[in-house]
Amino acid sequence: MRWKPSGYRLGQAVAALAATIMTLGAAAAEQGGDVIKIGVVSPLSGASSRYGAYAVRGAALAVDEINGAGGVLGKKLELVQGDSQCVPAEGVSATQRMIRFDNVSMIIGDVCSSVTLAMQPVVEQAGVLLINAASSNPEITYRAGVGGYKWTFRTYPTDEVRASAALQFAVGKGYTKFSVLSVDTDFGRGAIDFTKKYLSRYHAQIVSEDYYKETETDFRPVLSKIRYVGAQAILMYGLADTTPIVARQMHEMGLGGKVELVGNAEFTTPSTIAAAPDVLNGAIETVAWLPSWPDPRSLKFVADYRNAYSGDMPNVHAYTHWEAVHLLAQAIRNARSTRDSDVRAALIRIKYDSVMGPITFDDHQQAVVPIVLLEVTGGKAVNEGVLSSRVDYSAH
Amino acid sequence: MGYFILEQIVNGVVTGSVYALIAAGMTMIFGVLRAINFAHGEYYMLGTFAAWYVVSKLGIDYGASIVIAVAISALIAAVIGRLVMQRLVNAPFQSGVLATLGISLILQNAVILAFGGGYKVFPGGWLDPVQFFGIGMAQQRIVLVVAALVMFGGLEWMVRSTTMGKSIRAVSQNPECCQIIGIDVEKVVRRTFVLGTALAAFSGALTGPVNVSLYGGMGESITLKTFAVIVMGGMGNVRGTLFAGWMLGIAESLVAGSIGLQYRDSVGFIALLLMLMCRPNGLFTAKARF
Repeated sequence: MRWKPSGYRLGQAVAALAATIMTLGAAAAEQGGDVIKIGVVSPLSGASSRYGAYAVRGAALAVDEINGAGGVLGKKLELVQGDSQCVPAEGVSATQRMIRFDNVSMIIGDVCSSVTLAMQPVVEQAGVLLINAASSNPEITYRAGVGGYKWTFRTYPTDEVRASAALQFAVGKGYTKFSVLSVDTDFGRGAIDFTKKYLSRYHAQIVSEDYYKETETDFRPVLSKIRYVGAQAILMYGLADTTPIVARQMHEMGLGGKVELVGNAEFTTPSTIAAAPDVLNGAIETVAWLPSWPDPRSLKFVADYRNAYSGDMPNVHAYTHWEAVHLLAQAIRNARSTRDSDVRAALIRIKYDSVMGPITFDDHQQAVVPIVLLEVTGGKAVNEGVLSSRVDYSAH
Repeated sequence: MGYFILEQIVNGVVTGSVYALIAAGMTMIFGVLRAINFAHGEYYMLGTFAAWYVVSKLGIDYGASIVIAVAISALIAAVIGRLVMQRLVNAPFQSGVLATLGISLILQNAVILAFGGGYKVFPGGWLDPVQFFGIGMAQQRIVLVVAALVMFGGLEWMVRSTTMGKSIRAVSQNPECCQIIGIDVEKVVRRTFVLGTALAAFSGALTGPVNVSLYGGMGESITLKTFAVIVMGGMGNVRGTLFAGWMLGIAESLVAGSIGLQYRDSVGFIALLLMLMCRPNGLFTAKARF
């Protein structure tokens, strides 16, 4: 009968442990009384960590600004960071940790479309607000709002509009034969899927199609093929860190000025252009924001960011995360409550003045925000026009 | 079409030379220790990082950075060789797997801890393109192929004609006999390890400029490809490694250029599976060397 006392002791231990955890939990909840915790899920390590660093810095700057001005409803904002590594499973566990252990009720995330798509059902089940500020896969908002997921909002333009705008502009420049060289993720593949829908409208054709792994460094075989099939331009929806590799290898092979880059992979960033100026001249890119955007609040953001982070230039993800925190703060103020359901109702009705123009959400909880078409000319990004990103959901 | 295939073969030889250079060290270490060095790609990563640090933080010329990078990596390898690798002599093979996997994790995370998890851009290098039978490529790639040929020539000479080379061969064939006749097996293991990892670091420093970006986890995929190369070449067979490296490089280039870039990494695994099924002792011999 030895097992009885030991079982009894085990029970006691479990009860004591449970009591301790409950006390800790209660303490954490009390702590949450005078702060509003906002989670940021982004890739902080791995192939896309550059994006995550910008996202977190942008969000942190906005939190400092808001707290400096007295907080929201008399409460301070507090950032909780989660590392998704741009891997769906990691993003989901970071989200779950935030919800369960950090008692976060509002999350901004992720940069990578594949991770955002995986996070959507998790926040839906938990009833936690998700603001996506940097993923562009069209599916994210097809599934949101009247599409099903009530808790997902997106402030970033979708690739559907970007893909068609970039294609239209490229065809206008006389390119009709395109090779695809995009990243092998929901972002890269999604943008190409939506580009294909518009090929016949613009009398364009895709002559070869390749997707690269995030860690790929040798593009010479596929660039040989692209030259061999006679493509005039490469449709690339890819990673900022990979663009200089591709551009340098195109330069090596003498493709500069012969095959142009079209799409979105930070072609217009000065450091990317510097990697191979002859290749990037003529590159066409659609962006949600750019540092030189002539709005006083935008220019002040760039100056403040550079001030705060030793002269580093913010990228689009820094901007969108900074703006998303401000938008969320505005929604909490409008709701006069920090309860998720109240904030959600306020977001649906919000008309927020972003530096790119007013943000409103459509019935798929997708923000209608402008996108800018850029072309690299003489080593500099030149604004070729601003387009609306309103999606016609009934067209598909 | 013929020209297209020729261009892919040239691309493959360049890539394959890198694989071969890294694999030569791995196969030599296997020879003396009978252990697969699963941390081998990490020494390649260390070589790239050391060269990057020397060029971008200390402002030293790229050519000199190659020498310094190899020296730094060899120093780290010498410490690991004394603390870990020499203890694997006569140890069961599981110890080798665990120890080298552990070192791989430690090296990767130490680099991430020291320099951050983000990608860095490698500055410098000999990047001006040259025309080579109508195929444009950076001078750096020519340097890579020549360096691989010179290194393999040197290794061949060392293994045949020097005392160190002879003792490496002796330990590869029978470590117990070596101990009986007075060869310091642990010393041979340490030296082979430092030489093998220095070769990996050398190719890391040489590929930095053409691979452009570097990060802590960059050695992982290289270890797996290198493993396929040494199985193809015959475990412990240095000369076979060069041809196996080229074969894998050419096969990868042809697959990436004709089937699709996304299938490139599967080539190594398929080659590995086929080799283990059909010719487990390598392409160049029907008999096991050990």
